[in-house]
Amino acid sequence: MTDQTIASHTSRPKPLPKPAKGIWRQGWQRFTRSRTGMLGLVLVMLVVATAVIGPFLAPFDAHDQSPMLDPGAKAPPSWTHWLGTDRMGYDVLSRLIYGAPTALAVGLGAMSIASVIGVLVGGFAGYRGGTTDEVLMRFTDFFLVIPMFVVILAVVRLLGVAIVNTPFESVPYLNLGVIILLIGVFSWAPIARMTRAEFLRLKNQEFVEAARCIGATSGDILFRHILPNALPSLVVIVALGIGGAVLAEAMIGFLGFGDPAAVSWGQLLYFNYEALKVAPWASLSPGLAIFITVLGFNLLADGLTDAFNPRAKV
Amino acid sequence: MQVFVFLTRRLIFAIILMLGVSAAIFFLINAIGNPIELMMAETPGMTGEVIERMKSYYGLDQPPLTRYLLWLGRLLHLDFGTSIVYNQPVGSLILTWGWQTLKIQVPAILIALAIAILFGVTAARRQHSRSDFAVMGTALLGQSLPAFFLGILLIFVFSYTLDWLPSYGAYSTRNPLGGSPTLDALWHMVLPVAMLTFFNTATLTLLMRSNMVDVLKSDFIAAMRASGIPERRVIYVHALRAAFIPMLTYLGLLIGLMLGTAPVTESVFTWPGLGSLYVAAIHQLDYPVIMGASAVIAFMLICTTLLTDVIYVLIDPRISLE
Repeated sequence: MTDQTIASHTSRPKPLPKPAKGIWRQGWQRFTRSRTGMLGLVLVMLVVATAVIGPFLAPFDAHDQSPMLDPGAKAPPSWTHWLGTDRMGYDVLSRLIYGAPTALAVGLGAMSIASVIGVLVGGFAGYRGGTTDEVLMRFTDFFLVIPMFVVILAVVRLLGVAIVNTPFESVPYLNLGVIILLIGVFSWAPIARMTRAEFLRLKNQEFVEAARCIGATSGDILFRHILPNALPSLVVIVALGIGGAVLAEAMIGFLGFGDPAAVSWGQLLYFNYEALKVAPWASLSPGLAIFITVLGFNLLADGLTDAFNPRAKV
Repeated sequence: MQVFVFLTRRLIFAIILMLGVSAAIFFLINAIGNPIELMMAETPGMTGEVIERMKSYYGLDQPPLTRYLLWLGRLLHLDFGTSIVYNQPVGSLILTWGWQTLKIQVPAILIALAIAILFGVTAARRQHSRSDFAVMGTALLGQSLPAFFLGILLIFVFSYTLDWLPSYGAYSTRNPLGGSPTLDALWHMVLPVAMLTFFNTATLTLLMRSNMVDVLKSDFIAAMRASGIPERRVIYVHALRAAFIPMLTYLGLLIGLMLGTAPVTESVFTWPGLGSLYVAAIHQLDYPVIMGASAVIAFMLICTTLLTDVIYVLIDPRISLE
């Protein structure tokens, strides 16, 4: 209460003009106004929270098949097994929780690989232009039409046979790692195209010219001046890509080519789909988990589009 | 003339692409190991002599580059080799199974287009209305709903709970529905087509709506309305034509996506299509079928992109040919 009286006596210095809000803060403000974006953020946070703290709260261990004895396999939901047990005698809820880190590892891992390749190829093509651009973009077109899913299935299966009786056999999660690598290697093309378009747009702008005038090196211009300004558009496409990668891994798992050592939602579907009629909870819950994750990242991307390129949408 | 040069260039690029894709598939698969050795690794009791004989029988004792060129040469004569598991020409396998794939994919695309036009136009005409919101919401959800999970849900509801429709296969092994094989085949198609249609409709509707919203704001529509052309004609003939052109690109991508994910969508319904053939071949390591089916899928994808380009040039006079 005394604060006010004191303040009224001393002459306050004129407040400094607020610095202009940066591109990220402006974006965040617009993002919070996008209802779909906020819903997406909530769903994604839900999946992340499940992946980070879920394993500590899971009622059963991921590889604990003891429910096989007590309520038996394919038991309907009960107080001990909230989502029932599955065909193999696992607790469905626990398997579901342990599937979240796998899904996120696939999404983030594959998109990190794709982003690095995409930004390097697209950035180089856009900045250099000319023949380099032409050659790199034709190369990118090639990766756009290759039927990624079909190729990954064949490679994963054949590799699984080829590594038997070799030192590779003992590498943990090798299969999952290969799936992540392949999804990444086959999904960088859209990122490269977007990066190229952004670099083409930005490279002749005044701030780049200014940087060049004060003697910034090419590397500096590319990575400290152009790339940060291209990021908002790239974030959208990467968010979409994470959802796509999670879905791709789920489909690989659903066909039975997933990593036998990892707990993944697609594989839960593969093991339990046969028993859909008698134990629907065991197939429907991992399916729902995939849906929520993909939906979360798609809505997030939608909100990010609202936030960073409001003109891209009607 | 200009059109001719453009199309020739696209065609040459498509051929180069086809060569590149086939080489990539071939060498990626061969880099892992000799197909026969891999196949025999899972079959106990195979002597080295038998393996050698099988290798030479299937021509797999040659170095990879020779084999690639031979394979490519035979591909030009539409000779895909012989399936190791079925002991039938791969070409005829692909034809029979591929026909089943087209049987569900083509209707799914056509129905989805019709629905997308209807809902997209309706939503665009009443932008920000309640019906627009409902269409947008459903489409946004539908975009994220994995097709194979939707298929599982459909089977759970319509086959297992309500017991209205069959859950697997393309025909009944005995007692076809109503004693008519045609009716029986259609009856089996309902659920797979419904799944694919829903999957296609979501994004098509969103695109149709946003294109239509743009077109309806343009001057030529206002001019047509002002000159007294009936509203229905303005919308469904003139505006629709303009709004439809940008959808072609996506349609090409969509066909690629559907073919690429056919292994999954067909597995849900145990549908005897190209995708199921491919998955079975991978499980059994039936090498000629793996190579043939993936080459055909890649070929169809490239043809689709080429066709999209051609149609674009033919129907849209505004396109500049570089």
